[in-house]
Amino acid sequence: MADTAEKQAPLPVTVSKPTPYTFDLGLLLAADPNPLSLSGSSNLESDLAATARDGAQALLNQLLSTCPITDTPGGVLLSLPAIETRLPREKPLPPPKKETTWSRFAAKKGIKPKTAEARKKLVYDEASGEWVPKWGYKGKNKEGEGDWIVEVDNKKRNEGEEQRGDGRRERKEKIRRNERLQRKNEKGQKRGGK
Amino acid sequence: MLRQIKPRNARSKRALDKKAPKPIENPKTTLFLRYTTCSQIVQDALGDLNQLRIPLAKKFTKKNEIHPFEDATSLEFFSEKNDASLLVFGSSSKKRPHALNLVRTFGYKVLDMLELYLDPDSFRRLNQFKNKKCAVGLKPMLLFAGTPFETPVQNEYTLVKSFFTDFFKGEPADKVDVMGLQYIVSISAREPVEGEDSKPSVHLRVYLIRTKKAGQKLPRVEVEEMGPRMDFRVGRVKEADESMLKEAMRRAKNTLERPKKNISTDIVGDKIGRIHLGKQDLKELQTRKMKGLKRSRDIADSEDEEMEDVISDEEPVKKPKRV
Repeated sequence: MADTAEKQAPLPVTVSKPTPYTFDLGLLLAADPNPLSLSGSSNLESDLAATARDGAQALLNQLLSTCPITDTPGGVLLSLPAIETRLPREKPLPPPKKETTWSRFAAKKGIKPKTAEARKKLVYDEASGEWVPKWGYKGKNKEGEGDWIVEVDNKKRNEGEEQRGDGRRERKEKIRRNERLQRKNEKGQKRGGK
Repeated sequence: MLRQIKPRNARSKRALDKKAPKPIENPKTTLFLRYTTCSQIVQDALGDLNQLRIPLAKKFTKKNEIHPFEDATSLEFFSEKNDASLLVFGSSSKKRPHALNLVRTFGYKVLDMLELYLDPDSFRRLNQFKNKKCAVGLKPMLLFAGTPFETPVQNEYTLVKSFFTDFFKGEPADKVDVMGLQYIVSISAREPVEGEDSKPSVHLRVYLIRTKKAGQKLPRVEVEEMGPRMDFRVGRVKEADESMLKEAMRRAKNTLERPKKNISTDIVGDKIGRIHLGKQDLKELQTRKMKGLKRSRDIADSEDEEMEDVISDEEPVKKPKRV
């Protein structure tokens, strides 16, 4: 049976219509702009089935010939393009996020949010080849504070003045300054009534 | 209007977040409802459409005294309560027999409505076709055939097309399994005939797809009706409010960063940039500066051409200052 059918003529796989189909492959949609060929009310079903068959064939041809195909153990997958047809949304677009004072300031100053790397406490010390904490006990920020010999910097201090402990003093002053600014900010926030 | 809920725990917050407007939306849920009187045919039709749309559908069986075209607030309530933006409301009355109201909402307010009258004689249920049905939740292929769907002006037929596209769209997928392309929903209408009062009816058919080897790369497609079979006459229409539709058609700005143009990397890994230079104007080109070629001299002494000749003879002898 099958042999004879094959010998007669291979079944056509192409569809030719006066006006070509339009496709929206993202939706698996085909539109047939040709007038429906209905011969009469008696064989409406067969006519509709014929149109549907042509449409399905055209859509499948288009899908299989234009979409990239990937063969996975789960099955043969077709990558579909984006949807072109404009359809109404179901809910309005969410309003854009409000700009906070901080985000405006950060944008002005070019401050980026801290990365995961920046948040880590340990940092690699090239000189000793060890991982040391950035702050705290034996922290990297205390480098040079325990040195037994200190270079004299004539720009900072006059001769004969105490040089030892300048690093620590600077660090402590930085902390105090930061706390001062923090208090000032908190005061400002209270005044702002937020 | 539902009361505004302030989430008090993480679970209710998640539930609210699920419902909240998003730049890229969830697939639309369809809600099936019925009027106080609803013929068995319409009930069957609702059931079958629900069957096709599972799991993105909900079906209620209680009777609702709603007249969508007069007062749709109840429908809006249902839409909000169930987070469903597509509603199919079945009713049947003497004046409007076997009616299906297709309602779309935007932000829980009715966007557009369309009434379709089901033809009771040609209607066939899903299980009246004795064959194997496709699996639940598969993405259907869609076909709109006929000229009425292609008119550039908005009318009932373009609305039918838009609604059913929305209805059968389902989950957005960028990849589909070829084995999952099992059925096609074909919606067709013949062209309107001049001098005929009634508008052409819309035929909704669902076919299973059978592929045969055709000795080529592409297979030969055959179809087999799966049901349901529905013929509709188009009834009343409430078209979308223009401003509302405009708002509904807005799309989120593409947040994905666009690839930078004119920058590429070659196989070695070197970054190559292509830059654009304006068109070079040869008139402005700086040539060798000489006294004799000054513009002021050009205009002033047009008579002593011999002098210029002498200078041009000298030219190759002179050593160029710079290249």
